[in-house]
Amino acid sequence: MITISGFRAEEMRSEMRQKRLHGKGLYRVVLFLLVLSVVTGIITVCGRKDRSVQAADGEDRTTFTLGFDAEFPPYGYKDDDGEYVGFDLDLAAEVCKRNGWEFVKQPVDWDSKDMELNSGAIDCIWNGFTINGREKEYTWSTAYIDNSQVVIVGAGSDIKKLSDLSGKVVVVQADSSALAAFTGEDASEENKKLCGEFEDLQQVSDYNSAFMNLEAGSVDAICMDIGVANYQIKKRGDAFRMLEERVSSEQYGIGFKLGNTELRDKVQESLNEMLADGTFEEIAKKWELTDCICLGQEGTDAAYLQDAGSKKDEPFVKKFADIVGRLSGGMLASLMIFVFTLLFSMPLGLLVCMVRMSKSAVLRWIAKIYISIMRGTPLMLQLLVVFFGPYYVFGMSVSARFRFYAVIIGFSLNYAAYFAEIYRSGIEGIAVGQYEAASVLGYTRVQTFWKIIFPQMVKRVIPPVTNEVITLVKDTSLAFALAYTEMFTMAKQVAAAEASIMPLFIAGLFYYIFNFVVAMVMEAIEKKMQYYR
Amino acid sequence: MKLLEIEHLKKSFGGIEVLSDLSMSVSEGEVVAVLGPSGSGKSTMLRCASLLETMDAGALRFAGSTVAEDVDGRSVYVGKKEQRELKSIFGLVFQNFNLFPHYTVLKNIIDAPVHVQKRDKEEVVQEARALLKKVGLEDKEDAYPCQLSGGQQQRVAIARALAMRPRMLFFDEPTSALDPEITAGILRILRQLAEEKMTMIIVTHEIDFARKVADRVVFMDGGVVVEQGRPEDVIDHPQNERTKMFLQKMEV
Repeated sequence: MITISGFRAEEMRSEMRQKRLHGKGLYRVVLFLLVLSVVTGIITVCGRKDRSVQAADGEDRTTFTLGFDAEFPPYGYKDDDGEYVGFDLDLAAEVCKRNGWEFVKQPVDWDSKDMELNSGAIDCIWNGFTINGREKEYTWSTAYIDNSQVVIVGAGSDIKKLSDLSGKVVVVQADSSALAAFTGEDASEENKKLCGEFEDLQQVSDYNSAFMNLEAGSVDAICMDIGVANYQIKKRGDAFRMLEERVSSEQYGIGFKLGNTELRDKVQESLNEMLADGTFEEIAKKWELTDCICLGQEGTDAAYLQDAGSKKDEPFVKKFADIVGRLSGGMLASLMIFVFTLLFSMPLGLLVCMVRMSKSAVLRWIAKIYISIMRGTPLMLQLLVVFFGPYYVFGMSVSARFRFYAVIIGFSLNYAAYFAEIYRSGIEGIAVGQYEAASVLGYTRVQTFWKIIFPQMVKRVIPPVTNEVITLVKDTSLAFALAYTEMFTMAKQVAAAEASIMPLFIAGLFYYIFNFVVAMVMEAIEKKMQYYR
Repeated sequence: MKLLEIEHLKKSFGGIEVLSDLSMSVSEGEVVAVLGPSGSGKSTMLRCASLLETMDAGALRFAGSTVAEDVDGRSVYVGKKEQRELKSIFGLVFQNFNLFPHYTVLKNIIDAPVHVQKRDKEEVVQEARALLKKVGLEDKEDAYPCQLSGGQQQRVAIARALAMRPRMLFFDEPTSALDPEITAGILRILRQLAEEKMTMIIVTHEIDFARKVADRVVFMDGGVVVEQGRPEDVIDHPQNERTKMFLQKMEV
């Protein structure tokens, strides 16, 4: 009697559990729609905000915040003593002195410079900032440096002139003048044609990684500003060489938020004074830039004189669809990292877990040290080691294709360590009676593991594994460390090119939907495993 | 014929001696109940006999075949492979049943005969169904252990042990995790097995249970056998002081 009623009660309980789960699913869909509408709302507001960039520059200005890319010598960079120095910073310091402002040097991520400027976090972009092609995006000072884009190759390279670049891999800094010279709206027909003949035009976030790539052999040439090129070649010795032929000529100016003529005029006035009393040339001499300066010369005030007109408007839906389309390649790249990492790290984690729990103390320690290193150092650093390690340790030249493999290898090695520990906790939670029952029934160790322990472990580790998988979705963005263009890197590039934060919100939406699907799949698996306890 | 022989078994855990010098043997067809207070070492004895623990010293034989010999006061076991073969002589029913939760009742019973003993699956399934009928669970073969009551799980555990066709069965406190009224059902199954001349060693602290099923009662205390004999002698007319004290406490 008792057993029968006990069984009934169990049936009722499981029925109730199912109802609860059903209710939870509905609740999640509602939550999802809610979040979706909020995000869409924010995007709409952001889209509108783009054009209402009217600055109010107060009379009582006390500070002057200069935004710069801290890796752009000699204009602005971090020297050997860890100080931010450079030609532009010296100029700005003098301008501040003359106006009685406190000078604040604010290094910014180059891809985010427009958001920094539009939000008022910085007052200007002053950092070897090319006017050409950006005339309508900012309120400009007059040009003060004339610069050209040049190509750097290894000293022993057989590339002698620009046409030799066809079939080669060329690297440029993301959103740099060099990139604009090849792919921008105002790029010359010759450059566009040349660019079409490259095997690949890659983008990196800073010149240091560009030179590492060139040294390692994964790219054939770097295209950059002449001032930077001279500085880098001087600093790095004769391992590199500059092509005589130039890709383009261009001018540098100081970029202010569109419409902020008041501040621009004050800075321009001070610059003109400095030119008149010789301070400007003195500073240029200090940085060996006297060959490039052009302040006050003819043909430098085209951007300065233009009307601070309003930007062209695009319908919201069209812009949204356009950006989603441009990001789709990045979405696919992120998805590939995700799938391959899971495919390799989950079995590898089981192997590490077995070594970690082996009878041999030596093996146990090896696994312990591996896990400790993988969990104790940043994934970004591990990715760099995997990619550049073959060159710096063994002198092997790394190919451009290795980039993707390095991302997968780095991610898999890292995630395997986490999975190993999750599996171990799952295995250790299984009652010792299960092993004893298996032993008495005569199962071998291998049979005991695969038939009895492993299936029960899988059920136990689903919740922590779900956490890890969701983290992985977001971690795919770390592939940018190897200049592998996944979703987030691409969103930042598009955001910089469009001067809009909409791509970033679309990226966020992508991650959210991705993770929503992951959570649903994991919940379905968990539900499927609920047939026993 | 002696199915189980234990000679001068010694076992310590972390320097504390649990079994000091224990010897006992069980003949074919015999039903032995091992009684004693908790901490007397009766479960440890059974775990040594079922190879879940290794003996520090002493010898162990199954049906005359050596499992471990005493060499200069230390137990020396035969190889792992031989041990696995010798193991098939006994089955063990645990206090906590230890069914595999992710397998159905039927799969719990047939998996080891099919994958360890490599017997024909059809034949094993037939036999498993007969065993389920014997323990009164013929309608539960597709249920999972979590859907069964404790008494039902214990009956499945007995069927699982019997499916391996052992020559003797060990029971480690088979009823202490169960309600008293369910104990009666288990007792009925044990008596039926006794009638079929199954050799059984039952570790228990239930005197009534021992009296009703055993041919011989072994009373253990402090790691040694204190007294043994027919149930009516040991339980109703104990000779040893420690046996008397234990029985008095249990009656209250």
